[in-house]
Amino acid sequence: MPLLEVDNISIGYHTRNGYLKAVEGVSFVLEEGQSLGLVGESGCGKTTIGMALMGLLPPNGSVSTGRILLEGKNILVMSDEEKRRIRWRKMAMIFQAAMNALNPVQRVGNQIAEAILVHNPSLEKEAALSQVEGLFDLVGIPRERLTDYPHQYSGGMKQRAVIAMALACHPKVIIADEPTTALDVIVQDQILEEVRALQREFNIGIIFISHDISIVADMCHEIGVMYAGQLVEFGPWRTVFESPAHPYTKALLSSFPTLTGKKSDLVPIPGETPNLINPPAGCRFCDRCPEAQAFCKTTPSQWVDIGSGHKALCCRS
Amino acid sequence: MELRKYIGRRLVQVVIIFFVILTVLFLLFRLAPGDPVSRMVDPDMTPEDAHRLKVELGLDKPLGIQYLVYLKNFFTGHFGYSFHYGEPVVNIIWSRLPNTVLLFTTSIILSALVGVFLGKIASWHKGKKTDSILTIGALVTHTLFLPWLALIMIWLFSYKFGWFPITGMISEDVWLDPDSGFIAKSLDVMYHMVLPLSTLFLIHFGAYLLIMRSSMLETLKEDYILTARAKGLEEKVIRDHHAAPNAALPVVTSVGLSLAFSINGGALTETVFTWPGIGRELVFSVSQNDYPLAQASFLLIAAVVLVSNVVVDVLYAYLDPRIRY
Repeated sequence: MPLLEVDNISIGYHTRNGYLKAVEGVSFVLEEGQSLGLVGESGCGKTTIGMALMGLLPPNGSVSTGRILLEGKNILVMSDEEKRRIRWRKMAMIFQAAMNALNPVQRVGNQIAEAILVHNPSLEKEAALSQVEGLFDLVGIPRERLTDYPHQYSGGMKQRAVIAMALACHPKVIIADEPTTALDVIVQDQILEEVRALQREFNIGIIFISHDISIVADMCHEIGVMYAGQLVEFGPWRTVFESPAHPYTKALLSSFPTLTGKKSDLVPIPGETPNLINPPAGCRFCDRCPEAQAFCKTTPSQWVDIGSGHKALCCRS
Repeated sequence: MELRKYIGRRLVQVVIIFFVILTVLFLLFRLAPGDPVSRMVDPDMTPEDAHRLKVELGLDKPLGIQYLVYLKNFFTGHFGYSFHYGEPVVNIIWSRLPNTVLLFTTSIILSALVGVFLGKIASWHKGKKTDSILTIGALVTHTLFLPWLALIMIWLFSYKFGWFPITGMISEDVWLDPDSGFIAKSLDVMYHMVLPLSTLFLIHFGAYLLIMRSSMLETLKEDYILTARAKGLEEKVIRDHHAAPNAALPVVTSVGLSLAFSINGGALTETVFTWPGIGRELVFSVSQNDYPLAQASFLLIAAVVLVSNVVVDVLYAYLDPRIRY
């Protein structure tokens, strides 16, 4: 039984302009201790998937089809109370914009202890705080900073505190949504290194959400590339990174600079993403695709199996 | 230490501003049309008598000298004698101030507490029926014209139903009775306070409700609320422990300033309910050109507003750890 199985989920938002299909037919499996990266540009639905996994979609959003199985149990059919109980204990989240993820008027230590206490009501507050000290040691924050307020922390420390908070209840799954985007590259590298070490130590399954394909490739065993609400390519990171099959992945890779590879011009992707209220019938990338054929516009694209777990959603490959 | 330095700096500012207010007030009253003597005396009085009165009151001296006397009196704590009552101004103010403070401080604290509580509820049910009822109710009561509402309250509850006294703050029969103790007297004042207090409450709670509601709605969009929810906290805990303390900060400013301005006692409320407070005295003293009394009342208001500004700023530092001076 896999740790987390996302089976053909579609997620939509009711908006003033109509029903927006933010995510359509996405499936993937996460095993214990593995990491899976979801990469794509803004608005492709990656954060929506993270929120749906946590059961934190905004009131106008909902999962319309599919199943999310956590240790074999479908969390979509659970009651709010059941969902509240597994949140953070089984599945925690490292938030995008960690800078604002901490309550400004409460001490950092108390905020983390709160997460421990809500899932272990019999625990004394002192015991919870001493667990937080242990977490601070793990992520490399000095213990005496426990009683500080968030604004007294540097950006890197806040991110570490948010990671410590995610580890507080020893979750099986951590969803990391752009965990290092706001940090400079040196701190980013340190933090990612720590996350990797902690993942090995506690055997945590991580879903890594980022727009930065190089970070995802660096961190993850498997990569899912998303475009306009759909997963368009999936596979082991090396295969996806070195021999991308989907034209969008190819374009995405050539729009990022590399330090070590040969010098080449960056190629921006022309055009813009389709409107998800009325998505096109055929391939969603065809208008921007350099390899598009006439039938791409009308035929819904199909999954093509390239072998050894590598597949792409494209009519032509 | 930092805080002490900050308070010191602010108090120096307060003293300077107060001095400016002191001077402006002096000039304003001398520039205003009308002559206190003509109000005090019989029209049949001879010009000689009128002049003697003027000399007695010190109004014949040049403006500069009057100003110096004014400053001297202020710094020695002599605010002079009321032209109208002939009593020391300090005594008049001290006898009226507690009445104003009692009525207005109670009304502001009550409306702030209820407003914050209801605002929290409204924001939590945003877009639903509860929210609409609370918001519309708050808007309606808050925009009512205070003297009109006061008169309606008196007409309905005092005149029609006869439940509450029409005017005043005490019943003479209770206060003159040597047998009535402290409790009986307090109950009597409370009984007189019901109508003015409800009027002020109805007018003011809406403002706090609306401030709290919009502040809550902003706060609920913050990332740390999402964090709190992700942690598996119960909704009630998220609302009361994570959102409300942050959202209540703007209300604190508002309450602080209202408390300050309440000293002038809403001249309208005190007049309509004949509540023997500072506000009513202020209106009366201005209309009677009773310089010493009016000046002292205005100075009191200025001092309270200035000091409460400092108090609100310092209080903020306690409530919001991000603010350090």
